[in-house]
Amino acid sequence: MNVFQTLMSRRRFLKTSAAAGATGAAVAGAGGLTGFAPARQAHAQASRGQTVVTKNICAQCPARCGIDVYTTNGRVHAIYGDTGNPIANGKLCPKGHLGTYFLYDADRFKGPMKRTNPRKGRNEDPGFVPISWDEALDTVAARLNDLRDRGESHRFAHFYGRGWGASDAGLYGDWGKLYGTPNSAIGHASMCAEGSKRAKQMTDGNDSYNSYDYRNTNYILNFGASFLEAFRPYNYLMQVWGHMRSKSPKTRVTTIDVRMNPTMAASDRALYIKPGTDGAMALAIAHVLLTEGLWDREFVGDFREPDMRFRTGQRIPPFSFDEKWVHGLTEWWNEELKDRTPEWAESVTTISARDIVRVAREFGTTRPAMAIMERGPTAHTNGTYNGMAIHALNALVGCLFAEGGMFYQMGTPYGGLPVNADDYLDEWAKDGDWKKHPRIDKARTPEWPMTSHMMQEAGPNHLKGDPYKLDTAMFFYTNPIWTAPNPQVWEEALKDVFVIDTSPFPGETAMYADIVLPDHTYLERLQDSPTYPFEGWPMAAIRVPAVDPIYDTKHFGDTLIEIGKRIKGPMGEYYKAIDNVENVLRHRAKGFEANPGDNGVNSFETWKEKGVWFKKPYHWRQFRGEFFEWDGRGYNTPMTPEDVKAKLIKTPSGKFEFKSGRLEQNAAYIEREVGIPAARAGLIQWVEPKHSGEGDLYFVTPKTPLHAEGRSGNIPHAIANQQPIVGGRNTVYLEIHPDTARARNIRNGDKVRIKSNLGTIEAYCRYMPAHRPDTLVMPMEHGHWAQGRWAQGRLPGHSGELTANVSDPISGLACYYTGKVTVERA
Amino acid sequence: MAKWGMVIDLDKCTGCQACTTACAMENNTLPGESWQDVLYYHEGTYPSAQMKWLPRPCMQCENPSCVHVCPTRATYKDMDAGGIVFVDWDKCIGCKYCMIACPYGVRFYADEKPLLEPDLREIFPSSNGQLWSPPYQNPEQDWKRGIGIQPPGVVSKCTFCYHKVSKAPAGTVDLDEDIAEVKEYVPACVRTCPPKARFFGDLDQPTSQVNQLIGDKHGVRLKDHTGNKPQVYYLGAGAGVPAFEPKPRS
Repeated sequence: MNVFQTLMSRRRFLKTSAAAGATGAAVAGAGGLTGFAPARQAHAQASRGQTVVTKNICAQCPARCGIDVYTTNGRVHAIYGDTGNPIANGKLCPKGHLGTYFLYDADRFKGPMKRTNPRKGRNEDPGFVPISWDEALDTVAARLNDLRDRGESHRFAHFYGRGWGASDAGLYGDWGKLYGTPNSAIGHASMCAEGSKRAKQMTDGNDSYNSYDYRNTNYILNFGASFLEAFRPYNYLMQVWGHMRSKSPKTRVTTIDVRMNPTMAASDRALYIKPGTDGAMALAIAHVLLTEGLWDREFVGDFREPDMRFRTGQRIPPFSFDEKWVHGLTEWWNEELKDRTPEWAESVTTISARDIVRVAREFGTTRPAMAIMERGPTAHTNGTYNGMAIHALNALVGCLFAEGGMFYQMGTPYGGLPVNADDYLDEWAKDGDWKKHPRIDKARTPEWPMTSHMMQEAGPNHLKGDPYKLDTAMFFYTNPIWTAPNPQVWEEALKDVFVIDTSPFPGETAMYADIVLPDHTYLERLQDSPTYPFEGWPMAAIRVPAVDPIYDTKHFGDTLIEIGKRIKGPMGEYYKAIDNVENVLRHRAKGFEANPGDNGVNSFETWKEKGVWFKKPYHWRQFRGEFFEWDGRGYNTPMTPEDVKAKLIKTPSGKFEFKSGRLEQNAAYIEREVGIPAARAGLIQWVEPKHSGEGDLYFVTPKTPLHAEGRSGNIPHAIANQQPIVGGRNTVYLEIHPDTARARNIRNGDKVRIKSNLGTIEAYCRYMPAHRPDTLVMPMEHGHWAQGRWAQGRLPGHSGELTANVSDPISGLACYYTGKVTVERA
Repeated sequence: MAKWGMVIDLDKCTGCQACTTACAMENNTLPGESWQDVLYYHEGTYPSAQMKWLPRPCMQCENPSCVHVCPTRATYKDMDAGGIVFVDWDKCIGCKYCMIACPYGVRFYADEKPLLEPDLREIFPSSNGQLWSPPYQNPEQDWKRGIGIQPPGVVSKCTFCYHKVSKAPAGTVDLDEDIAEVKEYVPACVRTCPPKARFFGDLDQPTSQVNQLIGDKHGVRLKDHTGNKPQVYYLGAGAGVPAFEPKPRS
């Protein structure tokens, strides 16, 4: 395939050679490296040129670490953590330093292109030819205008993965409203980590990840959150790890996971659990907390009579327990928890009852303590219930909104845009037929009533024509043709869709593109990025271009605005008023004038200079069962139960719900899809996971510390340094317990085939006696059929090709870790 | 002159390899030419297995065996540079004696088959006598001290980021990245270490942070029995390299 050596127009050629990069250096010959003469004495201590440091945000994971980008003589040559950024604090994870590779990536798209080969497939060369930006944008706009004229605007969809902020994904809502599509935009959340968000929504009413006060906690009970590998924000988690593990008292950590990993290794106690059974473990811990009287009475409440106890297997009388900030404890105990003993959990989880009791006693007697989780427990068919059981432990020890506990994230006080989209709606936008159509992924329909996005369904739905066929799809920071479960279906589905890809890199989805509108890489962008939940107080960082774009690329936000300008009617007028990304950001930054940040940022200019706006503290605090609001000097304003319900615990009862009102509202759906009797649907409970794949071994595919979203497969230093649990460089291995391997006649180092009912991939194996014998481990990294010269064709194969498109019916989270496989010598 | 030393606290190290990649990009080393590396070990069997790691820079030995064996005096210990062991690329003949003599395996010869293909040296070819010329090359170079990108046929190694350290104001005792005035002079691996497991400073100053940590937390030197006397100290559990065991084949 010759897409990596894209033909260049004369203009682009000149631009490229002037700006260095791989091609530039080679073409420009001796002049390619200015500043160095060839003579040997020139290699003595050289005086460097003027070095400029610009602020940016790393883009290799969702953590959003502020970075200082060092540029000398027009070349970026170093990236370090920004000392003034509260996430980075001058530090970086191993990915961050490799950011220069993104900029000087030899396989980048160098400008807009169109497809000349109408056939699409893995082995089809797209036949891309360069076109001008005007031609590219006009082509897309003509297509979208035509679709709208035909009354089929719902058949256009935006897809996005890592949206950053107001200047890119933040533009989608208005776009959909103005153009007239329910599909603006289909996010990747259901292929990410929706399980924990939904578990929290069903129990404490916040459809969100948590913010955490790790710095002040004394106990972490970690259920499958790869704290020292991929949990967000990894860089900060390592910083706080160094603090927790050397403060007085040292924070004690128990980790429960399905495999050996750095977090397990560094914890005080590592417990291996059978995949998909974390909920049983959490329920048994809750059982012990109650029977041994270790719950937090100030937050949870207490029995009315002093001699009452929770006794294993025995019900408690109704109205005998006064609940304070919790709801449904009596029913939870009587209908579920009273029988969830450590001995029962041992039979489900394979963790010994003795260890479960030990953990429960430690967790219940150390304050502050918190239980954390992410995709490990939740990427299963029982994921939401698993997550709810884990989160219930936080209520039982009273750490919600408390010092050393967990809370949620405040928003950024951005300024408004110069115009309001509602003033630019034409008749079609207001009342067109498009409003009768559901989203292509059927999220928030009766099929998936509690989900927010269901991207993994979009491809299969299009293929079936249910609810309709897509016409045109535009992709930003997402590559579902490779990352979706069972992506083989997407390879078929996208054949008859007009695909617009905006990645700077030649990914798999780009290989299906009819038109490529390449974005800048992150070191070339002006882009905002409000934080994901971090420590609660609001924060928004900004990318400042370190260099002018090396190639003929365009900021995705500007691409979107430029297409908008070309749509007929008031929509075009709206985007002419919005004008460009810088204008958007200047207006957003006006919000800082009235809210100057703690670092003095109060304008667009100061925001760019400092790279981040933030304003401490978080505004609410629970202290010994009472809630208080920040009054400017301290947590001094007592909150009423109504305040708490409105601002913090947003459940129907206004309390933490062991019996979830939101789940009860969907009881019929849950009975049908999960098989739980409707009357029990709201209870946090043990639900057996359903494993797909038809194999005899669990198969988990973790992300390593060097996994850079969408790109580490093509970054030489990342490939060379993939954290090698079982040793070796240059690839990742299928890690297999020696007993499991020998039983299948597999020798250490053999090439093996891993099979599910969906397909077969190959890998080299390494014996790893530190893993469970029933669980295979293979980092999710390689197996690309595009992406660039290093990524393409590198073993092992892609785990997604073995993964069934099965989702948790409640959260919609794709069950990436629930498939079972077989393995044999290749 | 200071005697530069490094302290690595293994109780805080999370094995993330930020030190390794920061070094690779600061010093423009090739994949596999890991002047700074992290070694991983595992022992035992499920469910009581352990996994360990050991970050490993050049030890900058007080009594460096690499210097003793070098036939051309290309590798030398520079007492005027804090005791850092350098390779003079103008003198090195690439005989690799030093690589064999080094007890710690921290010297590299990159002019051979690449670890990773396609070969970066072909993608970013050099036109000025270097082994390769990435567009992101650090402008700092000093071949007399093995700083920059090496010519073909020489040995390369960690320089304690001397191009940074040497610019610290005279009399600096602690090169700590959290002190704003000296941040830019801290070696890359120390500066970026997220859990702050690394410390750098003057071993000749009893008041330095590195000496305080070595004293309080019983710092040890790796393979001290060789008499090499590293200027790198380890704190905490796990400062040992398990004996070599061949991989089980079947």
